[in-house]
Amino acid sequence: MADLTLRDLRKTYGNVPVLHGIDLDIAEGEFIAFVGPSGCGKSTLLRCIAGLEDISAGELRIGGTLMNHVAPARRGIAMVFQSYALYPHMTVFENMAFGMRIAGLPKAEITARVQSAAEKLQLGPYLHRHPRALSGGQRQRVAIGRAIVRDPGVFLFDEPLSNLDAALRAATRVEIARLKKSMPGTTMIYVTHDQVEAMTLADRIVVLRGGRIEQVGRPIDLYRRPANLFVAGFIGSPAMNILPARLEAAGQGTTLRMEDGGQLHLARPAPAGLAGRPVHLGIRPEDLRLARPGEAALLSGRILLVEQLGEVQILHVESPAAPASPLIVKVPGTADVIEGGQVLLCAEPAAMRLFDEAGVAFADEATLQE
Amino acid sequence: MTMTMALPSRSRPFWPAMLRGMLWAFLFAMGVLVLYPLLWMALGGFKSNSQIFSDPFALPASWSLENYLAGWRATRGYMLSSLLVTLVSTLTTVMISAWTAFGLTRTAIPGKPLVVGFILGGMMLSPTVALVPLVRMLQDLGIYDSHAALILLYTAFRVPFTTFLIRAYMLDLPRDLDEAAMMDGASPGQIFRKVILPLCQPILISCVVLHILFAWNEYLFAMIFTNSPGVQTLPVGLTSMMSKQGTNFAAVFAAMTISALPIVIIFFLTQRYFIRGLTQGIGK
Repeated sequence: MADLTLRDLRKTYGNVPVLHGIDLDIAEGEFIAFVGPSGCGKSTLLRCIAGLEDISAGELRIGGTLMNHVAPARRGIAMVFQSYALYPHMTVFENMAFGMRIAGLPKAEITARVQSAAEKLQLGPYLHRHPRALSGGQRQRVAIGRAIVRDPGVFLFDEPLSNLDAALRAATRVEIARLKKSMPGTTMIYVTHDQVEAMTLADRIVVLRGGRIEQVGRPIDLYRRPANLFVAGFIGSPAMNILPARLEAAGQGTTLRMEDGGQLHLARPAPAGLAGRPVHLGIRPEDLRLARPGEAALLSGRILLVEQLGEVQILHVESPAAPASPLIVKVPGTADVIEGGQVLLCAEPAAMRLFDEAGVAFADEATLQE
Repeated sequence: MTMTMALPSRSRPFWPAMLRGMLWAFLFAMGVLVLYPLLWMALGGFKSNSQIFSDPFALPASWSLENYLAGWRATRGYMLSSLLVTLVSTLTTVMISAWTAFGLTRTAIPGKPLVVGFILGGMMLSPTVALVPLVRMLQDLGIYDSHAALILLYTAFRVPFTTFLIRAYMLDLPRDLDEAAMMDGASPGQIFRKVILPLCQPILISCVVLHILFAWNEYLFAMIFTNSPGVQTLPVGLTSMMSKQGTNFAAVFAAMTISALPIVIIFFLTQRYFIRGLTQGIGK
């Protein structure tokens, strides 16, 4: 059993609070990613779970057992460090065997476990090399192998791919996904600032900001249904467009008055009390499209910049409806657009997301139509 | 204009070559300055006492080993004392310092800066000032005029400096290694022995060499805290040999050469590690 329960978990350094009461349930065998901007507390939270940092208040339970004061090695967890943290004076074999030797396991079992992990990670030919004689990717695999041999209930990854180049990162990401499939009962917690890693690997993502959880959910839920403006801006690249508007009529149907004076009707309910209040309208760049001839446009503007990526083009559009920053629009790579040209834009109302004045998303089911 | 343009291009190869030549001459002069007295001493061991005074800069008239054999016989006992005191004090100093440095860099001690200051402040303590109380203390402990007295003093007075060197080196070792070992189930003692200590090999070798140099050549403590010939170390032994056989400088030179040999050999064997350890430790 390796499910985790975090209840009002807090961490302070002196008088400085870093984690402000984290509540989280992680099921056995789940792959969870912690994401957030630098300094949001994601690594601190991971280190609290690992036992490398003391928990100031609250509870951490692993498999139902309170672990607040249990030594790291006795928590049934293994960790892959950002820097790999391989012992430079030991060979790959010795690195992987170190923990088992400390635990006093029989030699035959140690050898068998190391061989099995090495086979799984294609490290067989390198077992007698020192870390300095390995490439970055191979070192990363040794770090993972060192964790695997301990047969942990919970696997912790602290930004494991951040030291690798782009190509190797993509390849190692696939290896981690394969590893997860081969260890279905093992719970994995993965800290990253790379959204692609979080979106592609995780069963659920935990978005943190300033030591607090902003949202927990499936990657697609966070993407399509962000709980607030922070998550909307953080998840997705390019980020969601946020347009200021005013709620003119609320109730069964919603009418918005845009900044450029235009009106937008949405067939969805909105709290009646919010009528007349400022709101934010969120539209993903790929949900905006060029209006067909004769089609009623939602927004208009002038193209400031075209980023041609081959498959798609990213347009930066200056629009009176978005005075603070240009609208970002993803259009097909073949679309006929030029810098300086005028464009009319449309969007499916179902793909739009509404946030109140404080930045909290409207709790309506109509927002997401998958 | 043309001349001023041409002048620098002509002078370019000349000045660097001149500077390089001067540098070589300077280094050669420094080499002679350091090596010649040693060579002169070693050659003196082959001469007769009269030749040393009559023809001090000439090569020996005959290459007899007689003085070296006499020097060896005279210093053999002192050398054993020096060996014992040096080896044991090296071991105790380096081990105590490594443990201390580990504690200072790897553990949370309340008021750590104060503790660091207190230990490293030991470097400021002048041995001369402490002589009188130390004589009383060692007499009271019953170890005055014994090898233990010298081992204790050499260890006590060298631990601060050695700790300072090892601590600087350990500060450079990444904390992730300790944490990885902790996750692997290693205790602080195991982290020290199996992870940190092997990684400190270059600075440990430097500290061993530095301590051997100190303990082998130390004179003040050895002269004051030992009286018996069976306990006295080489530096004291060599001076007593001079007073007894003041006229036979050839034998004294031979004995001095013999006493310097182990240090020279150790230094040449460990030179590579010695330099690496010191330069790496200086990083922080």
